[in-house]
Amino acid sequence: MGATYVFAKDAAEPEYDRSLAWAGLLLMAIGVVMVYSASIATAEASRYTGANAAYFLLRHALFLGGALATALVVFLLPVRFWQKAAPLGFLACLALLVLVLVPGIGREVNGARRWLDLGAFTLQPSELVKLAVVLYAADYTVRKHAVLKSFRRGLLPMLAVMMFVSWLLLREPDFGALVVIAVTTFGILFLGGMNGRHFTALVAMLGIGFALLVLTSEYRMQRIFGFMDPWTDPFGRGYQLSHALIAFGRGEFLGVGLGASVEKLFYLPEAHTDFLLAVIAEELGFIGVAAVIALFAWVVLRAFAIGRQAALRDRHFAALAAQGLGIWLGFQALINMGVNMGLLPTKGLTLPLMSFGGTGLIANSVALALLLRIDWENRQLARGLHA
Amino acid sequence: MSAAAPALVRLPVWRARFVLAGFFAAFAVIAGRSLYLQAMHTDFLQEKGEARYSRVLTVPATRGRILDRNGEALAVSTPVQSVWAIPGDVSASPAQLRRLASLLGADAGELRRKLGDASRDFVYLKRQIAPETAERVAQLGLEGIYQHPEYRRYYPGGEVTAHVVGFTGVDEAGQEGMELAFEASLGGVPGSRRVIKDRRGRVVEDIESIRAAQDGRDLTLSIDGKIQSLAYAALKEAVLAHRATAGALVALDVQTGEVLALANVPSFNPNNRARLSGAQIRNRALTDVFEPGSTLKPFTVALALESDRLSPATRVQIGNGGLRVAQHVIHDPHPESVLTVAQVIQKSSNVGAARIALALGREDMWRLFQRAGFGAPPQLGFPGEAAGRLRPAATWRPIEQATMAYGHGISVSLMQLARAYTMFARDGELVPVTLQKSPLPAPGTRVLSAQTAREMRAMLELAVQPGGTAPRARIMGWRVAGKTGTAHKQENGGYAADRYIASFVGLAPVSAPRIVVAVMIDEPAGGQYYGGVVAAPVFAQVARGALRALGVPYDAPLEPLPLPGAHEEAREST
Repeated sequence: MGATYVFAKDAAEPEYDRSLAWAGLLLMAIGVVMVYSASIATAEASRYTGANAAYFLLRHALFLGGALATALVVFLLPVRFWQKAAPLGFLACLALLVLVLVPGIGREVNGARRWLDLGAFTLQPSELVKLAVVLYAADYTVRKHAVLKSFRRGLLPMLAVMMFVSWLLLREPDFGALVVIAVTTFGILFLGGMNGRHFTALVAMLGIGFALLVLTSEYRMQRIFGFMDPWTDPFGRGYQLSHALIAFGRGEFLGVGLGASVEKLFYLPEAHTDFLLAVIAEELGFIGVAAVIALFAWVVLRAFAIGRQAALRDRHFAALAAQGLGIWLGFQALINMGVNMGLLPTKGLTLPLMSFGGTGLIANSVALALLLRIDWENRQLARGLHA
Repeated sequence: MSAAAPALVRLPVWRARFVLAGFFAAFAVIAGRSLYLQAMHTDFLQEKGEARYSRVLTVPATRGRILDRNGEALAVSTPVQSVWAIPGDVSASPAQLRRLASLLGADAGELRRKLGDASRDFVYLKRQIAPETAERVAQLGLEGIYQHPEYRRYYPGGEVTAHVVGFTGVDEAGQEGMELAFEASLGGVPGSRRVIKDRRGRVVEDIESIRAAQDGRDLTLSIDGKIQSLAYAALKEAVLAHRATAGALVALDVQTGEVLALANVPSFNPNNRARLSGAQIRNRALTDVFEPGSTLKPFTVALALESDRLSPATRVQIGNGGLRVAQHVIHDPHPESVLTVAQVIQKSSNVGAARIALALGREDMWRLFQRAGFGAPPQLGFPGEAAGRLRPAATWRPIEQATMAYGHGISVSLMQLARAYTMFARDGELVPVTLQKSPLPAPGTRVLSAQTAREMRAMLELAVQPGGTAPRARIMGWRVAGKTGTAHKQENGGYAADRYIASFVGLAPVSAPRIVVAVMIDEPAGGQYYGGVVAAPVFAQVARGALRALGVPYDAPLEPLPLPGAHEEAREST
């Protein structure tokens, strides 16, 4: 049964999950190339970048270097350490979220206060919170396992924490991060054995609340459902999405060729961040998009398999953390891709491991490193060694 | 669930499977959506995309050249560069700006003012600069300053052919002259092509050519560059020498009706039209009319000959006190009291011409003038051709009929006058004139009998012999014939006492006429104002050159022609 999740063993019996590492590195590599391709025209034409066509490429490569270095350090630390550090780390990240909201410290871009200015580069705490909340929720679930089925002692404390985090994130606002964090947290609770009726009630409540919120306001209705037909207002609200869809249509099966996108030539906003997939779709076609989908699906599959392996060895924190990381990366990738294809309303979410953005890239790499570390410890235990 | 210690926790496996299955379902939906967008919905999406960034550009047609009859270029389009800027993108040091200004030949302050308006996306700094200058501007490497290629019309003939050729505006559309008259065929038809533009308007991809540009056709004029140069030089020299205000000249090939030369003074340089006055632009030979004076006498006499009531030898009473018509008196400066019809032409007697006219029906006179082409534009297709004034015969009073015989009370353009003389040159046929090369003999319209035309040529030849009014019109080697005109200019409804228009219209060679040359000098102020003195020498110069250029065989001995003595030159009535 569990064997379906286990990656076929190599003859050489590798000490780490090679396919996961390769999937991650491949996504990063495609990301670098496509970030450069998507940003080259806007970077060259902008005075903000000093008309340097490689402006975003250089920064992305720098972040990637930092992210891989961080990942290496993370891989060297035992999972035990992360379990111990989870509550404190989560608190530290919450502090950063508060700090962002302090006027004069948080940096505001386009009406959203999401960044902390660190001089050389900016930090986006919400990206770190995504990572921290996975570890925190996994630790919480394990710690409270005995009372997890109780509403008051099991669910309520986490609900309270989530309310607080939501409030902070909505103050920025960063609705996309909120959705990812909420889904990851309750996903972990659900996997950890949370009361099924509580979970169903929670999902139902969220659904009804959301529906009420939307149905009572014409404005919110348009905001939310505008994405369904971008062609009714293609130069206003539907502008970005219509251009993303055109990029998909132009790409056809094999793409127009690397570098040949027209949409990235100032038509499609955020081409190197939120709408990177549209540029991939135009330049590399369905083949390119399918490859990205497959790689993410593989990452998710591996995360769950690694989690299952850990669970079989009674490493509950590691198991929940691995699956939580999989939910995070997979869910964020799905949302981003859905937005790019007009299946979901536009939210400020990047494509994990690929899009431009320093903090996100570091957090995603750390997630990948954690998965590899958990797997490595699993394999050590399988050989009868100490993790 | 058991109340076991955390170490004995069992995670529900089905939940993980459930979540994972959900993920894969979602990934499948995303992949399906991608396939739908990229394989099935492509036509719609690509059409939407083209609506956003495919644009149809016009492909300018190259303007046709204007050539003289020998293929020499009179107007050509040369590639130039226009320099423009996006003011907001320009970040040049004051020294660089000064350098740019000096290269462009512009004022540095003006340049700064243009670049100061950051709200504009496009501003021309200088249009149509030479490619070499443009290259040096490009070498400055200034940000935000761009160039785009244009064509500029260049006129190798300069002021010599300025009036015939005309000129185009900065957008290469004809504004004057043949450039305007033949705009449709010279301009061609611009083509169009479909391109993809980025959002900032730059072309990034050529998709298809919708319609190829049809380049303009070359226009070959009837003008002969050599004769034209000679005509312009001779005319300019005469205008300067006689301190005249203006002058015009028309030379026609009487066999084909082609205009071989059409010159005006003052002229202008069409390549630099910075300071241009209306007086310089006017193509007087075609657009201005004047009272021709005595050059009209041959038509009246020819009409009389046609009626068979007179012959060249018929004697006409001149009298000493002039001719009284109603309360007006027509004077002649000539001492003779009787002249033959031929002598009326030779010595240009107003009284003689008036007497002959009064014996004719006014309707007949009107019809002849009308058939000679007066009162209607000469149909050259040139913009602004004047028709002149020929009043209906029914309104003529006897004094008007009499004065019209010697060219007053009627106005013509020099082109009309030159063409009218082709009836004498072509044995009675009037030839249609053209500014386009058409080297085949043109069929004419018979106005006079061949007999009359020949008799007229003989009389007109007398006029350039010693004893006539224009011995200075003679040239060595060819027999010429012609008639002078010296008319008071009209002023405030009357005639100015001391302002004249001197003219001469002649043909050559008399034995087999090939050319007609008409010369008009406006307000000669150098003391001399007779057509025989002021205009006839210009005729001689141009006719000699034209006959030589055309290779017309001599029909007279090559003997030097001494300048006529004072008594050999008849004074013309004015």
